[in-house]
Amino acid sequence: MVNANAARRADDPVTLEIIWGKLQAAADEMGLMLARSSMSPVIYEVLDFACGVCDDKAQLVAQTNGITVFTGTFQGHVKAVIGKFGERMRPGDIYMVNDPYSGGTHLSDVGIVKPIFVDDELLAFGIAVAHWTEIGGSVPGSLSPKATEIFHEGLRFPGLRIYREGERQDDLFDLIAANVRLPKMTLGDLNAEIAAVRIADTRIQEMCAKYGVETIRSSFSHLMAQSEKVSRAAIAALPDGVYKANDLIDGDGFTDEQIPVQVEVRIEGDTIAFDFTGTSAQRPGPLNCARGALLSAVKTVFKALVDPQAPSNEGWFRPIEIIVPDGTVFSATYPQAVGWYFEMTGQISELVWMALAPLVPERFSVGSFMSLCATFFYGKEPRSGDQFVLVEPHMGGWGASHDQDGTSVLIGTADGDTYNYSIELLEAKFPIRCNRYAMNVEAGTGKGRYRGGFGVVREYQMLTDDAHMYASLGRSIERPWGLEGGGHGSNNYVEVTSNGDSWRGARVPTTELAEGARVAIVTGSGGGYGDALLRPPEAVRDDVLDGFITADAARADYGVIVSQDGTIDSDATEELRQQV
Amino acid sequence: MGRLAVDIGGTFTDLVHFDEGNGNLEAEKSLSTPRDLTQGVLDTINLSGIEPGSISFFVHGGTTVINAITERKGVRTALVTTKGFRDVLEIARGNRPDMYNLRFQKPVAFVPRRRRFEVRERIDAEGREIEPLVREDLEAVVEQCRRQHVEAIAVQFLHSYVAPEHEAECAAFLRERLPDVAVTASHEITREWREYERGNTAVLNAYVQPIVQRYFTKLEDALRALGIDCPYTAMQSNGGTTSFGWAKAHPITLIESGPAAGVNGAALIGELCDEPNVIYLDVGGTTVKCSVIESGKPKVTTEYKLEWSRLNPGYPVRVPVADLVEIGAGGGSIAHFDAAGSLRVGPQSAGADPGPACYGLGGTEPTVTDAKLLTGVLNPENFAGGRIALDVDRARGAMQTIADGLGTSVEDAAAAVIRVVEANMNNALKLVSIQRGHDPRDFVLVAAGGGGAMHAAPLGRELGVKEIIVPRYPGYFSAWGMLATEPRSDFAITALTRAEDITVERIHSIFSNLEEEADAYFASADGVGSDALGFSRSVDMRYFGQEHTVTVAIDETAADLATILREFHAAHERAYTFSLTDTPVEFVTFRLTATASVPRPRVNPIDGEHRSAERAYKGQRIVGFGEDGCHEADIYDREALPAGFEASGPLVVEEPSSTTIVHPGQRLWVDRLGFLHIGEADHSPGPN
Repeated sequence: MVNANAARRADDPVTLEIIWGKLQAAADEMGLMLARSSMSPVIYEVLDFACGVCDDKAQLVAQTNGITVFTGTFQGHVKAVIGKFGERMRPGDIYMVNDPYSGGTHLSDVGIVKPIFVDDELLAFGIAVAHWTEIGGSVPGSLSPKATEIFHEGLRFPGLRIYREGERQDDLFDLIAANVRLPKMTLGDLNAEIAAVRIADTRIQEMCAKYGVETIRSSFSHLMAQSEKVSRAAIAALPDGVYKANDLIDGDGFTDEQIPVQVEVRIEGDTIAFDFTGTSAQRPGPLNCARGALLSAVKTVFKALVDPQAPSNEGWFRPIEIIVPDGTVFSATYPQAVGWYFEMTGQISELVWMALAPLVPERFSVGSFMSLCATFFYGKEPRSGDQFVLVEPHMGGWGASHDQDGTSVLIGTADGDTYNYSIELLEAKFPIRCNRYAMNVEAGTGKGRYRGGFGVVREYQMLTDDAHMYASLGRSIERPWGLEGGGHGSNNYVEVTSNGDSWRGARVPTTELAEGARVAIVTGSGGGYGDALLRPPEAVRDDVLDGFITADAARADYGVIVSQDGTIDSDATEELRQQV
Repeated sequence: MGRLAVDIGGTFTDLVHFDEGNGNLEAEKSLSTPRDLTQGVLDTINLSGIEPGSISFFVHGGTTVINAITERKGVRTALVTTKGFRDVLEIARGNRPDMYNLRFQKPVAFVPRRRRFEVRERIDAEGREIEPLVREDLEAVVEQCRRQHVEAIAVQFLHSYVAPEHEAECAAFLRERLPDVAVTASHEITREWREYERGNTAVLNAYVQPIVQRYFTKLEDALRALGIDCPYTAMQSNGGTTSFGWAKAHPITLIESGPAAGVNGAALIGELCDEPNVIYLDVGGTTVKCSVIESGKPKVTTEYKLEWSRLNPGYPVRVPVADLVEIGAGGGSIAHFDAAGSLRVGPQSAGADPGPACYGLGGTEPTVTDAKLLTGVLNPENFAGGRIALDVDRARGAMQTIADGLGTSVEDAAAAVIRVVEANMNNALKLVSIQRGHDPRDFVLVAAGGGGAMHAAPLGRELGVKEIIVPRYPGYFSAWGMLATEPRSDFAITALTRAEDITVERIHSIFSNLEEEADAYFASADGVGSDALGFSRSVDMRYFGQEHTVTVAIDETAADLATILREFHAAHERAYTFSLTDTPVEFVTFRLTATASVPRPRVNPIDGEHRSAERAYKGQRIVGFGEDGCHEADIYDREALPAGFEASGPLVVEEPSSTTIVHPGQRLWVDRLGFLHIGEADHSPGPN
């Protein structure tokens, strides 16, 4: 041998790079296992889940694409397990946790955690978090808009050992099956999550066999240290200062009174603090979130700020400090209901984003439709008599930014690699027909040099006489914000026509729907960026040709005269633009 | 009589000719001619000196379809949909895989809203008509298409996968009223559900159809004029061939024909070596492609997504495509540091022009090829048969930035670049093998493409495969694979049924219907009689409540539902670590693959006259073997290696289109056909 190659030193940057790639591949594989073996549409079709790997101190080291707001909660879930079981954890154990007050989100998001031991020593955790369609509680789908206490929202798992040294604890499975409305689906999802965390264990064992456990362990800390370095450098590059934003949340579903919320972002050197003091006290309904969800929502926007594309891990988030008193709508305490927490996390992300957007235009678009616009339909399939529950988030319009139009019909910030439901699949599975799935151009969009993206209209017709719905859509009063002279976007709402009655709403409590009833879910458009009179006439004309705006709107909003044959009257346009 | 395969790539047009009389195999290469691709085909044929009249089989592969799409050079296309759903194409699935990017942009729809038209009609999920197709709405579509000078139209109605009548009626009407416009109805391309995916597939087919039609018509004329008088066939993405006529109407089925041909080639290598389980690795200039062949059968999927990445949802294309994983890592991949200071290789590539720094064609960035040169793997005098002299100093200059960044020597930096790119390749190989439930110990690794052989040894070792095989002509692999293809078409129908509601008779009747479809297809497309057809049947099955399915092969004679169910439970357990034997099972999509068998080329053994170990031995040089360090390695000339030759690594085998390395602890042997076999010295099966 001419030249000994010390390639496998623990701090060899190339070895580290390779190990991180393998970790990422393992996390991706977990996601694939979960989606493909799951029983509920909200997981396999909509992909409402996330998977990852944490180190022995619960710090995130690798994650799948998935739900932004879940990945920020891995730490809380794993810490809850460590806190309760500590030294009592054994190889082959698997734990289940969903407690919102110890780092979780809402009861429906169930975390499955597998400690990974190498040579009897704890090295890491595999974790999968997925939204279960049904976890009991007062209504099918478990998210009653009228819930006031956590007990209305289903089963609470404060860290339960569902596998003890490889042995399935059947009693716990029986307990779950007996307390949910769709036990096959619920247990199917549990199985899928277990398959996902097992794969994490297998892959990490293989990596340890190849590189040695100490190398893997130190690769975790190097990975986080490196991300922290980049993260701090990104903050240090921003001007020190205090950046504020405030907003109003639509009513809590009990009253229409708007709920004031605010943030003060303080940047000092390479640290960043998010202070939510002054935000409204927690409300009686389920439109609150606990601290774990707050932290996760802040992490989402923080990651967008420092480096959106780099793989996520705990290191990125070390510079963050969060200040909030107990008992606000963003830091709800036991036993307050928090089922619709995702409306709060959307709101938190948007708030932080609003404070930072003017500072970093190359990273942020302007105001979006924001809400997950989640709807629940349930009832009985007329032929089989089987119960059905359809849980769906809906897509809407995003805001423009300094160099591009906003994107139309895209999932909100709280979710991520989340899909809409195929209409052909939906009609084959549920007694519902979809009459329209179209871009919502009627409501207009935030005008500007760059315009906002459009929302959507999705109209359902009930084909059963046993159907109910409930929903809670945010941004039905305040409109998505624009910047630098850009206009506001439009609002989200549902329109229900049942038994000759027709009404609009956004916080919709459980409502009975007659056979033939129509429900239109309408989502809003995003805000605009810059002066609409500076929008190139060709872009305005294209929007007219595509039916996104009318020729009248082109004239009124943009000062562009588009003739009947689709050409621009340049002279008239110039004249009009000078007048305005 | 001879069989001729022509593969038209971005840079080169490759030709492989197999003489059925004497078993000789010849390869030829000439520059592609992008302005008129038929010219490059004719050039290559002329250059090869093949007698056109002797050709009895012609197969074409190329990138016309994928290039027209990726370069957005298709025609002005319209879309006709069910009323209320014209925006589905633009809405897509609404997901944000680049989830922390708050300025995310969706892939742009191939048909803008102004050319998306709605007509009244409706069919429900069970195929019942809810509203008939309204003719006057079609009149309006015709008028709009005329006014907007539309050249192609896709038609996509809800639930046409179960009841295609309305789509067919609409397509017939449009074809009659607009005879110069290419019309594609979605059910003609795919019968699977999900409206966005099926619609996008139909749109992409329409988008390229007139171009492909013109291209094949011109090529037919040129080939005929040259005197090649045999059926002309085109390689498809499913690993089979079809007639030019069929390809003209269904061009989207050609989208990944080149890589699919490579997969077929790997299957043929497996067959010749009596190894039915193959992991295929193709390392080109910009990408690496991996695929798995199990029991001699390449894997085919309908979940292909064009331009997909972890951050980009891409465009779904629901036609059968060889199940490949492709990553941006090849000989031209550029090494650089990212924002966090980590060493990365690719996906950016120096391509063929300017190419790696060592080509001396103006490239200044360090690439994998430069790294292979600096570690001594590549011989500067022997690259591309000596046609390109590699410039070590330029490679060194380019690699210096990496060395500075890592604080190491240039040689160590080059070794690091190779390790990083090979780790990427390894993750891709694992994705197609281990992550899909295959145990690499049951597989051989077939390495092709210009670069496959110089990465295969460490990759095969890490993966733990039985053996690595480097075939002859690894640089012409797609063309060679095409020679091994058979006419093939895939038929599928979604017919959701619970296991308790199905009978074996019903299953057989569904397959009989598909077989009739297959007979009709082959009679019209290839002129093949039904007795020459071979069928393989499978069903996508799942547990009630699941969406994703597991595919279970159905034996023609399977008389027993319980056996089918048992196989499903076992397949599910293999794929997902659990089975649910007390949960109801559903049959979802019935699939039939029909192939017409053609004689496989028989490859002659290499002759011994000019071949001996002494003649092949070219001396020694110092070569870097990655994690195994640098060694004084023996160098051999592949063209002089005799059958039965054996040697232990570290060593290097050079040939004009490729370089093979064998690591310390590995053993090389040459089989009678001239294929190189590499195994671990302690458990290699060896020649027998």
